[in-house]
Amino acid sequence: MNVTEFRAGVCAWLAEHDLSPGPDHSLDGQVAQLARVRRALFDAGWIRYGWPAEVGGLGGPAVLRAVLGEEVATRDLAEPGIYSMVEVLAPTMISYARPPLAAEMVPRLLSGSEQWCQGFSEPGSGSDLASLATRAVPVKGDGEVDGDWVVTGQKVWTSLAQYSARCVLLTRTAPGHGGITAFFVDMDTPGITVRPLRTMHGVDEFAEVFFDDVVVPGDRMLGRPGDGWRLATALLPYERSTCFWHRIAYLYTRLDRLLAETAIPDEAALGSAYLALHTVRCRSHATQRRLAEGERLGPETSVDKVLLATAEQQLYDTARELLPGAVELTETPWRSEYLYSRAATIYGGTAEIQRNIIARRLLSLGRD
Amino acid sequence: MDPADSELLAETLRKTMTAASGRVLDMALVELGWPDLLAEFPDVAIPTAFRLLGETGAHAPLLNDVLLSAAGRRLGGTLPLPYAGGSWVVWDRCDQAGTTLDADLPLRSVPAPLGGEPVPLAAGRRALGWWLTGLGRAMLSLARSHALNRIQFGRPLASFQAVRHRLAETLVALDGAEATLLAASASEGDNSLGCLLAKAAAGHAALTAARHCQQVLGGIGFTAEHGLHRHVRRALVLDGLLGSSGELTREAGVLLRKERSAPRLVHL
Repeated sequence: MNVTEFRAGVCAWLAEHDLSPGPDHSLDGQVAQLARVRRALFDAGWIRYGWPAEVGGLGGPAVLRAVLGEEVATRDLAEPGIYSMVEVLAPTMISYARPPLAAEMVPRLLSGSEQWCQGFSEPGSGSDLASLATRAVPVKGDGEVDGDWVVTGQKVWTSLAQYSARCVLLTRTAPGHGGITAFFVDMDTPGITVRPLRTMHGVDEFAEVFFDDVVVPGDRMLGRPGDGWRLATALLPYERSTCFWHRIAYLYTRLDRLLAETAIPDEAALGSAYLALHTVRCRSHATQRRLAEGERLGPETSVDKVLLATAEQQLYDTARELLPGAVELTETPWRSEYLYSRAATIYGGTAEIQRNIIARRLLSLGRD
Repeated sequence: MDPADSELLAETLRKTMTAASGRVLDMALVELGWPDLLAEFPDVAIPTAFRLLGETGAHAPLLNDVLLSAAGRRLGGTLPLPYAGGSWVVWDRCDQAGTTLDADLPLRSVPAPLGGEPVPLAAGRRALGWWLTGLGRAMLSLARSHALNRIQFGRPLASFQAVRHRLAETLVALDGAEATLLAASASEGDNSLGCLLAKAAAGHAALTAARHCQQVLGGIGFTAEHGLHRHVRRALVLDGLLGSSGELTREAGVLLRKERSAPRLVHL
């Protein structure tokens, strides 16, 4: 199926099937809405396009997932951040899980019957992710890869952990980058404690996750011992292509909303916010095209990341200027969204880390 | 035109522009078949030629041809060009010094024309956008070499994060602007808004490059003995031609307010 047919089909189907969210905008409500949207799109087949048949997909190019997410974001059917988590979780499973495990589990994620989370960051390992210290130790000593492992440590910024049935978890099994090993962990395993973090924008989507002698079967290892760092870097292209395209579509809807609501004729500020969005849309479009042509995405996606974070914050700064009091005086979605936009230069690799990567890898400025 | 031909064209143009500028370059390009290229492969010829004018620091009055060609008129002449603030200029096809901040360009102010044919702005803006990002790349290249070679406190400037981040910021602006230019070239039909946005992004990126690169180059970049000032002057002058980035951004804002919606210009 090509993009045009797919988009036409999705739009026609969405016109007949109203998936608009209800009045509950709490995180519980958002997660329930997300599950509802995925279930409906799975049953109708749309969310299965762009994924391989081995994991319950209907095949076709990956760009179809970007198109579907764009239509979902444009209609505000699901919050784009949590909608897009599939884009990093499912490819990880397809590339690194044993095929029967991927075949069993990925359809549960796509269909909305389960939420999953990603246990990467730790209190002592933020920007310096490779220093992570959550330990995994084989129960029966060396050499028995298929035996049980025992995990001890703490993760943080784990989105939706309190709703999740599974976790893609990075652990330390040996020193250095080559000593990081990933597991697919059931969140109901004894020894796991989840504590949601209160955030400044009032949506507690992040959590701390504690692992106290958590036993994980060896067949839940993703890849081989030591593959964890490769796994973590391999998902960046997905995060920086399809997820970004969804988020950009969402930000356009917010600019439309600002245009509808503002009474202040500041054309320079509106034009400038629009130009920043248009720029990242064009850049992301080129990235999608490269992905479709089979190119390997790499450090150049840090440019996409800087453009997106900058455009997002500029848009909400402009909204705050042109809707005076909307953030401070009233309880509209602008308040929460404005506050959340402050995190755009922090999550997914800070703005500083992106510039370090650009300087080192794209400009060849040597070590800092 | 296949990729190998585009590559060859770029190499040929680069050599020609490195060897000549102004009137001589103008004539050399006619010899190379510029008018035919413009007519047959505008989506390759214009980005390549204008980007290389920026990168090499050469100049030629090719903007006239782009506009004349878009208007269906005979190439080789000149026409009054709108400039920022409601001014008008003419880009002469001679080597006489101009009257603008960049005196190397044979560009002079003229009175506003009475009537006359409308200037096909979209094609001209797209071409100038490529020139501006090319200039930005030239400035970035100068600043990058300086940062790698200049030693202070016993280490290269490039090892200081404050310097690295300025150069990274420059690359982000230039890559973003080029994405808007590519999107404007590829779009069919009425792409006047795409070209307007691309010129605004490119002007903004070139001025960002000028600011960061001048800072990284420090004292030497302020002298007329270093090449940077030529690029800075040219970026300022070209930014104003056919509408400055500030004016074009405002114009986009006016359109947004009128339509009460933000046009999505590129699609998967």
